[in-house]
Amino acid sequence: MFVITQTGQAEEMANVDFFEKRIRPMLVKHCYECHSEQEKEQMGGLLLDRQSGWLKGGETTMAVIPGEPQSSLLMEAILYKNENLQMPPEGKLSDVEIKYFEDWIQRGAPGPENDLGDSEFSQLGDQEFLFEQAKQHWAFQPIAKTTPLQVDNAMFNRQPIDQFIFAKMQQQKLTPSRHADPRSMLRRLSYDLTGLPPTAKDVEAFPAKLRENRPQAIQETVDRLIESPAFGEKMARMWLDIARYADTDSRYRPDTKTPHYFPFAFTYRDYVIKAFNADKPFNQFVKEQLAADLMGFAEDAPEQAALGFLAVGPHAGGSTQEEIDDWIDVTSRGLLGLTVACARCHDHKYEPIPTADYYALHGVFNSVDRANPLNEKLQPEVQGYTTDEKSHQDYLKQRQAIAKKIEAAGNKKAGGNNRSIAQKIRETELAALLTYHPAAPARAMVVAEKKKPIEPSIFIRGDASNRGDAVPRRFLKLLDDSQTPFSDKNSGRLELAGKITSPDNPLTARVFVNRVWGMLMGSYLVDAPSNFGLMTAAPAHPELLDWLANDFIENDWSVKHLVRTIVLSNTYLQSSFSLDSNESIDPGNRFYWRANRKHLSIEELRDSMLAVSGVIDLKQFGHSAPLWGEDYTRRRSIYGFINRFNLDPTLRAFDFPTPMQTQSERTESVVATQSLFAMNSAFVLDQAVEITERPEFLAANDDQERIVYLFELILQRPAAPPEISKITRFLELQNRFKSSLKKSPSTAQSWPLVAQSILMSNEFQYLD
Amino acid sequence: MSQFNPLISRRELLQNSGTGLGALALVGLLGQSAQAERNLDEAPLAVATPHFPAKAKRVIHLFMNGGPSQIDTFDPKPEVNRLDNQPLPESFVKQLQRTQRNRVGKLFGSPFKFKKHGQSELEISELYPHLSQHADELCVIRSMQGEIANHSPGLLLTNCGHSTLARPSLGAWLLYGLGNESDELPGFVVLCPRGMPTAQSRNWTSSFLPGIYQGTHIDTLGNPEELIPNLTRNDIRTGSQRAQINLTQFMNQRHAARRPDDERLESRIHSMELAFRMQTAASDVFDLQQETANTREMYGDTLQGKNMLIARRLSERGVRYVQIYHGAGQPWDSHGSAISNQKRLAAESDQAIAALLSDLKQRGLLEETLVIWGGEMGRTATSQSNVKDRKRWGRDHHIDGYSVWLAGGGFKGGTAYGTTDELGQAVAENPVTLHDLHATILNQMGFDHKQLTYHSSGRDFRLTDVHGHVVSDLLG
Repeated sequence: MFVITQTGQAEEMANVDFFEKRIRPMLVKHCYECHSEQEKEQMGGLLLDRQSGWLKGGETTMAVIPGEPQSSLLMEAILYKNENLQMPPEGKLSDVEIKYFEDWIQRGAPGPENDLGDSEFSQLGDQEFLFEQAKQHWAFQPIAKTTPLQVDNAMFNRQPIDQFIFAKMQQQKLTPSRHADPRSMLRRLSYDLTGLPPTAKDVEAFPAKLRENRPQAIQETVDRLIESPAFGEKMARMWLDIARYADTDSRYRPDTKTPHYFPFAFTYRDYVIKAFNADKPFNQFVKEQLAADLMGFAEDAPEQAALGFLAVGPHAGGSTQEEIDDWIDVTSRGLLGLTVACARCHDHKYEPIPTADYYALHGVFNSVDRANPLNEKLQPEVQGYTTDEKSHQDYLKQRQAIAKKIEAAGNKKAGGNNRSIAQKIRETELAALLTYHPAAPARAMVVAEKKKPIEPSIFIRGDASNRGDAVPRRFLKLLDDSQTPFSDKNSGRLELAGKITSPDNPLTARVFVNRVWGMLMGSYLVDAPSNFGLMTAAPAHPELLDWLANDFIENDWSVKHLVRTIVLSNTYLQSSFSLDSNESIDPGNRFYWRANRKHLSIEELRDSMLAVSGVIDLKQFGHSAPLWGEDYTRRRSIYGFINRFNLDPTLRAFDFPTPMQTQSERTESVVATQSLFAMNSAFVLDQAVEITERPEFLAANDDQERIVYLFELILQRPAAPPEISKITRFLELQNRFKSSLKKSPSTAQSWPLVAQSILMSNEFQYLD
Repeated sequence: MSQFNPLISRRELLQNSGTGLGALALVGLLGQSAQAERNLDEAPLAVATPHFPAKAKRVIHLFMNGGPSQIDTFDPKPEVNRLDNQPLPESFVKQLQRTQRNRVGKLFGSPFKFKKHGQSELEISELYPHLSQHADELCVIRSMQGEIANHSPGLLLTNCGHSTLARPSLGAWLLYGLGNESDELPGFVVLCPRGMPTAQSRNWTSSFLPGIYQGTHIDTLGNPEELIPNLTRNDIRTGSQRAQINLTQFMNQRHAARRPDDERLESRIHSMELAFRMQTAASDVFDLQQETANTREMYGDTLQGKNMLIARRLSERGVRYVQIYHGAGQPWDSHGSAISNQKRLAAESDQAIAALLSDLKQRGLLEETLVIWGGEMGRTATSQSNVKDRKRWGRDHHIDGYSVWLAGGGFKGGTAYGTTDELGQAVAENPVTLHDLHATILNQMGFDHKQLTYHSSGRDFRLTDVHGHVVSDLLG
């Protein structure tokens, strides 16, 4: 079949021939589908379209040892002797074909003449290559001290954000927009800083204040809003998406059809609100959330509640491995913008994150114990919650009644499963009382150290029963080249928190300022807010990002400073209306030549309706309460009960993220179920009625006054004449209906229908 | 469009793909025919074109949750009957998983007679007298292989392609890939009487796909208007509500006219009209009185009959994926009294399933509707319990060789594919994994399973992960 030649040159030729004639066709036919660049597949990490592919082999070992067919894995696979490794999967090759492969390996497994060598594809998952790339990657560079250049525009030359933005605009031949009109500006500031609409009165007074002293009027408004208690609620909602906050576990109890309650999750939510209101430095905020128990706080200190960041995860009663994975994920993506959880089963394919890094963090979190969410002994009460005596007595009464029931149940088992009736009552009735009753105790959902920290080892392919090399508990190699192990005294959470919040860490500040920027501006500088890895391109404004990050760190990680700096920029204050000349150059507004029109979140929509109907209860903190239904809370939506197992359909319809994992941003979808909510939900209908029972509405003298009042209340603007006449005609029609059609009369009154028609409008739910 | 230029690298593409998620989702399609661009922010349910022309447009998945017994239904094992009541031969015991060896009971032959049906002479047991009349439509796979012999992992593997991790379900993937044909109904509906199946809503989760693709669960014993929250209000005449919405739309038009560059505002105007129509359409779909008496009789006045008829009504209105569970929990799980239980469960659904197939065929819908029947696993050919009374013998969980069938959607009717060994202990020929089945289903829906991807947490995910082959022998 082939000739063994004597001279080296000739043999080389023959080898290539042999490969091309005998081996390559078999590889193409049987192997390329799963192991070639042309098919974009390298299953098991193996490529068979180049010499380096079979020499390096896949995740297991070398596929081919030149000259040694008997020890080559490839031979083992094609001989079908090993039950777990039989290739090609569709059927064993013929004896002749197998012989060709054997001869080929015997010859030294020569490759093609034009070997593909290493390509970007073949180096996917090649950590050495990825670490090399990381050296150039924008997000892994130290945060640069950037200084903007002066720009040739008076408006945009006053502060660095504007200077950076204007310079780029000029390069793109874009013109900045003028300030938003006073009403849009105040609505925008009010929602962006508090999540609530401004009052009609404030909107009415604002233009005169601007005329008097524009910078001062804006400055004062911003100060007032940032210092209002609602600021923390607005910021906290953003953070709770990142922290995948919910008031239950991800499962439910089929026998009782109740969720696994987290009765004390709310203290974490409150901690977050208070932290933003108190302008707790962000580095401290992060540290407390990861390691408050190791920072010397008193057992009942409010800071203990920060540990909810870990404890409110979705796997409280489930698999420990999933819980640890969740903690690694929320910490790495949520705080650092790195997808470390991808390295659970193998080295990260696209990022410089070896699987050893995953298990280094795995060791940290595996050294942590958490209490059963219903356990009242292990979760300490936290200071700062008071309740009135009447409510307290009511709680005690209900609690005693349940205690009696539990006692009466004794050791009896429930039918159909192994749980005792007493246990069932504890998990349902008692848990529900602890969750909802306003006077139930406020406890911190804490985590604690295990007696001895766990020394981690790699789980091969993520399989806990298949242990590989030991790794110390330590930080990521990418961010700590020395790979110094954490102390052997405890889990190392505090050390981890220290590494994450170190001013030298290039990611933490960048990731957070980008989140805040995105929330306020309606689009992110880095458009993958939780992934700053190699897969994410540098932003259009890298200098601005670094300036913001630097400024943030230099101002003691003050979130209020950061927010204030952004909203006082002329970039932020621009109108959201389009300019034709710019639209053709930058239709996506990547260069911020106008403001982005923003859609209200479901929480903002709900709060706005409660605000304009006048029934809103601005009481802060405390146990969660139902958002909808018969007995819905009048409090702000952030205090609503979030059932993770069965996420409320209204929240779901409005893009509230399922809190199964950290959420980087909300999408805006337009679906009919959102309109149905506005058209038919008892909640909206209720608010429409409430509006028409406000004293100001009742005091109005005629229809025209009523219409004018409704527009001012709901949209903070005067009604336009066509709107007035349209509504007047609607009222006439309704009256005629009422008198002419006796059967199945409509019980809905006309004025609430009018109020609702304004609540349903796009204008109500969009911010210019 | 540069995104389809095969010469640029994957990473370049990611870096250049701008801000839209839709662009990211396209990454997996590099070099392939283009999927219609999915703009997740604005029209996540718009009908989209798959990779290649589809054989099937919609799926009705009949989930026999709990796991029906293949040797009592679609996989006759005369040899088990011959050796009935004898211990499993040692040579077979050795092949079992270690944990199963001590548990295995005596061979437990099926008391149900198998007969050849139709021109294809497909063998089906007497448990399904009605369904047997459709033998020539059924493509039975007798060689399904699961991964973990328990309910939750089996359900999740069958629905979502992974036994343990939270991954999007097949229905969610299809809705993401194809959009919703119905303007008025959700695109992925799960019917389950009396509550939820084991593993609950994880069976129809959208996981990391946007929530809009998640299945909508309806307890068909409950109030059908709960199908869609806030579907109607009953304190107002339709005419008044129309007039009220006209008011809102008048304001919306004025608002949008000043903001012509913002397509979202137009979308919302359209969406409100849709919502208005949906109010009647969704109430309509559950009103079975609209069917003729003949049709209702054909399905039978039973819970399963009602479910199947609702499924057809949803499907013909364009609902992309309808999944029907036999009941809450895991009704087919027959660890005791396997014979009487299988008999009862089959009798509950036989007529209704047969009626569904007849009805779809009569309406010319079977070609483009793929009907899937099966559980999350099968059951052992050996008895589980050691009690003397055979009536109380059960069958344990079994994942190495169980049966599912498919009908319509371009699957080859009258086929029995794959075999199990003579004692029904393991797959003998042509094993089919759930990944293979998913790949084949996606293929019939017009997708290359390797190219239907979604970018999440730093990588591209697909239903079949790194597995799956299209089983072309199943296709007509």
